Amino acid sequence: MTVDVLQLDLLTSRYNYYAVVLLLGIGLYTLIESPDLVKKVIGMNIFQTGIFLFFITLAYRTGASPPVVTDGGGPYVSPLPHVLILTAIVVGVSLTAVALALIVRIYSEYGTLDEDTLEELYYD
Amino acid sequence: MSLTLLEGSLLVFVLCCALGAALLKDTMASVIAFAAYSLGISIIWLVLQAPDVGLTEAAVGAGIMTILFLIALANTVTPDVDSLFESVRWRTVALVGAFVLVMAATIPSLPAIGDPTAPVVGGEVTQYYLANAYKETQVHNAVTAVLAAYRGFDTLGEAVVVFSAGVVALSVLRREVFA
Repeated sequence: MTVDVLQLDLLTSRYNYYAVVLLLGIGLYTLIESPDLVKKVIGMNIFQTGIFLFFITLAYRTGASPPVVTDGGGPYVSPLPHVLILTAIVVGVSLTAVALALIVRIYSEYGTLDEDTLEELYYD
Repeated sequence: MSLTLLEGSLLVFVLCCALGAALLKDTMASVIAFAAYSLGISIIWLVLQAPDVGLTEAAVGAGIMTILFLIALANTVTPDVDSLFESVRWRTVALVGAFVLVMAATIPSLPAIGDPTAPVVGGEVTQYYLANAYKETQVHNAVTAVLAAYRGFDTLGEAVVVFSAGVVALSVLRREVFA
């Protein structure tokens, strides 16, 4: 299995997908492990962009131009994943804004953003 | 497509920035690393022929998102840090490593990058939009055509999400206006 995953021709033809899984890993690690709430939000955003990279890579076609359709042009990359990711980026920013607003509110109530200190304060 | 030097170095750059954002202990340094990461990713979108996504990522991801993080940092006080990097906890690394391996096990069954016969690129839906978008909507950019015409209600829903986020942020902060 491990030998399968690390074959060289896979690495040269599917390199973006390796970046995707690494970005997902880095994002997940920050989300779980960082004690600071702001950095957890950063981790969530890295996880998100990893998924974006997956979609945009799937839309790519060798030698194609952006999907601005003219007569006799082409080939084009697929426009559909681009649209989905445009929507996802905007939704991601909204999500970040709400998360950061909650964080600022938590700070004004408890005076700290450290996860462990917050837990102690909450149960006292 | 085989790996070009430009794309290889961009991927290494974003991975390093992501690692920096994850491991730098100072939150401000982490936010700056994340802004650089977003900018690198937006150039990757350009390389992958997705200029619309690249522009949005540069304006929204690297621009507005960084401003939001800086505003949040300005309203909170993070304690002084004694070391440059966080200490790595290996238990979590093992967990995340297992997750990464499971995800990586699916890579061999994905189509090669840029393969014109791949389901997404060669699929019926993509071909329909590329063939009919200009005829039916009079818009040359197929991304705009799908976003504003074919999936117009989805974009309306997206606007509703942004509006609700604004309302929620105001009510969480107990304010009446953004000031």
